[in-house]
Amino acid sequence: MTDEKKKAMNRLQTMYPLRALIDEMYKRSVEAGKAGKPTAWCMVNWWEGDPIVKAMGMETVYPENYGAACAATGAAQAYLDRSDSDGFPTHMCGYARNCIGYTARMMELGEIPPEAPMGGMTKPMLLVGAGTLCDARYKWFQVLGRYLDAPVWMLEIPHPGVREFMMEGVSEHNIKFIVEELREFVTFLERLVGRKMDWDKLEEITDDIIAINRLWFEINELRKVRPCPMHSRDFWTCMNASLYPSGDLKVSLDLYRKMYDEVKSRVDNKIGSVADEKYRLVFAELPPWHSLRFFDQLAERGWNFVIESWAYHPPKPIDLSKVSDPLERIARHTYQWLTGYFENAFNAGEYWGYFAYPYLEYAKDYKCDGAFLHPLLTCRTATNHLMLVHDRLMKKLNVPSLVVEGDIVDLKLFDPVDAMRKAETFEEIMDHYKKVRREKGFDW
Amino acid sequence: MSVKNRNKGLTRVREIYQDRSCRVKELKAEGKKVMGYFCIYSVLEMMTALDLVPYRILGDIREPITKADACLPTVVCPFVRSCLDLALKGKYDFLDGVVFGHVCDVGEKTAHIWNIYLNPPYFHFIDTPHTVHKAAVGQHKELLKEFKKTLEAFTEKKITAVGLKKAIKAHNQQRALVRELYELRKPDPPLISGIEALQVMVALVSLPVEEGNELLEQVISEVKQRKDGPQKKPVRLLVWGSIIDDTSLIEMIERLDANLVMDDTCVGSRAYWSGVELTKDPLDGLAYRYLVQLKCPRTFREVTFGETKKDYMADLEGRFGYLRDYAKEWNAKGVILQSVRYCDIHGYEVPGVKDYLDHVGLPNIYIEHSYTEAALAPLRTRVQAFLETLG
Repeated sequence: MTDEKKKAMNRLQTMYPLRALIDEMYKRSVEAGKAGKPTAWCMVNWWEGDPIVKAMGMETVYPENYGAACAATGAAQAYLDRSDSDGFPTHMCGYARNCIGYTARMMELGEIPPEAPMGGMTKPMLLVGAGTLCDARYKWFQVLGRYLDAPVWMLEIPHPGVREFMMEGVSEHNIKFIVEELREFVTFLERLVGRKMDWDKLEEITDDIIAINRLWFEINELRKVRPCPMHSRDFWTCMNASLYPSGDLKVSLDLYRKMYDEVKSRVDNKIGSVADEKYRLVFAELPPWHSLRFFDQLAERGWNFVIESWAYHPPKPIDLSKVSDPLERIARHTYQWLTGYFENAFNAGEYWGYFAYPYLEYAKDYKCDGAFLHPLLTCRTATNHLMLVHDRLMKKLNVPSLVVEGDIVDLKLFDPVDAMRKAETFEEIMDHYKKVRREKGFDW
Repeated sequence: MSVKNRNKGLTRVREIYQDRSCRVKELKAEGKKVMGYFCIYSVLEMMTALDLVPYRILGDIREPITKADACLPTVVCPFVRSCLDLALKGKYDFLDGVVFGHVCDVGEKTAHIWNIYLNPPYFHFIDTPHTVHKAAVGQHKELLKEFKKTLEAFTEKKITAVGLKKAIKAHNQQRALVRELYELRKPDPPLISGIEALQVMVALVSLPVEEGNELLEQVISEVKQRKDGPQKKPVRLLVWGSIIDDTSLIEMIERLDANLVMDDTCVGSRAYWSGVELTKDPLDGLAYRYLVQLKCPRTFREVTFGETKKDYMADLEGRFGYLRDYAKEWNAKGVILQSVRYCDIHGYEVPGVKDYLDHVGLPNIYIEHSYTEAALAPLRTRVQAFLETLG
């Protein structure tokens, strides 16, 4: 019986080596810490700071990813409790509370806690915060000063409104601002690490990251077909090698190429990622990392998650080959990730160009029958837009949404039994709106 | 009521506090345009320079949130949800436009939701940077140039350097008058209660700047002369934290035998403590003041730009040292740290600000509430117990 359940979802074989890269990232960082080499903890910064830190020879780990790892292995609860007992409000980001609790315990012990999953995160020399998308991702590193003497560098990235983005000259001064900030970041790192930037190395790393993301984008484009060849679970596993560009990027690029080949082969042979694709869904935003088997149960019912999590997708590709300054290339690449949907949003009369509007394109392009919205009780950022997404999908595309509350780290906040009950009922709603869409002339 | 027969001083303040939009609706009827703005990062001087009436968007803790539930989840800041709820119920329909800054994560995202669901005749989003780096100040100036462009297009008028400087002077005068008013909270007993002070501050964000200045002058004069001001109480307090736009919380504290003599909140002192330098290009002074000098935890600051080693106590001193100065100057014996639930930017500060206050020997308590009157009742016992430790 158990084996049959596992077969309901057809995982990509090329996913496994990509997943292994993340395990290696933690190992490498711990070894670097032991060897006295420079190490950094970074927020996901959508490739704005990563290539620079990497070119400076620093080993990086990402506490947000570590939060997911702690949640998935069940280690998070003790760290959450520690954060709470240190006076941090319980409504704060689960990843942050996990990291604060972990750091407090590590500094108390004077070493990586023995129970830490993935070998733990080594004490960092630097904390790279980011203002991208949410406040927690710089406030959290700021408060780690309570436990660590590592400085915090805060990466800036503009978040223009859709209308303002369309104004003449706006993007150019936004890019200029990012480049100026990155130049300061390089100067700062040179002082911190005590060596000069290797600009050739930065060029190479930047180009590798851009190439990885282009390929990753193309892989996700292949998912538009029926049956969808790749499930969101494979996306969530494999997004990490893009979002956390640690280790040898040539290896990552090669693994993504292999993944492309596997997904393309599935497309050519009409092999889906669930055995019998009955419903195609878009998932927003972050999944319950502690309860991913829930998706296997849904796969048994023919639910295929064909697209997901705007924030973790690579940018729509743009030609950066004529941009000679690597810092400008980095700036344009990250800015494109954030604003790549803005022009379409503006033309559609939608004014939340990231997070919200992309789901309209997703639902249409990936022919989704429904949206699974997962409001997170400790993450405002991944939740703010969900009511709007719910409303727009229905009003503009007649695509219904299922709302199931939960959390990325705190498993007490997610009820899989209740969620399954809702899901069963939701199938009737998806069936109904499939008819409605056809009556209204939609092509799915 | 004609201007001549209108009530003055604190009586007028109470009238406006009770019915915030009464005056701007009169002005609108006279042909003025009223511009709503959210939080303290929208540059008021630029609106004033175009003869627009800036009107701060606030919530209402007495109004149950019903309509906003359809647009904003319940796990986000209840103050922001309340503001949106009021707008969706038509209570901000008199606004001719709305300006949002990138004030916090939820504020920024609510800006887009507001724009979509309320579709105001004018809307502008200022993407306020997060740091006070030199490049960020330059970026902020660029953003203000864009704001200027859209305001000019909307009003079909030009902001002149002379007009902008005049507006800066008027707003600087208001800031100076507010600081003068706060001086009257230094004596023991204070000459103006915490409740009255908050009512004045709410009135100020509901009036054109010149009228606010006139009202402040009346209040200062009245408070100095009156004989029936607040009573001396055993404890003098400072309050820190997220927005307080309703007197309920202050009433709860002041009824417990304490005088609230100073605040660090954004309807209170935070919005007024720094003025705008009159620079050659006025946008330079405005860009600097609204990014660097406004002290809200939404902005990332470090003791020294590009520091390579973190010194925790130096960091706290840099971020919260002014609270020690406030407590000293206003002779506050304790600090109430308060925040609406789900306010991340204040929530993250709490252990740090507590560490700092403990370090400098200022007793403190943290209370969290959900921006409803009912939520205050259970906090009363905690505050009372705290006051007993001070008394």
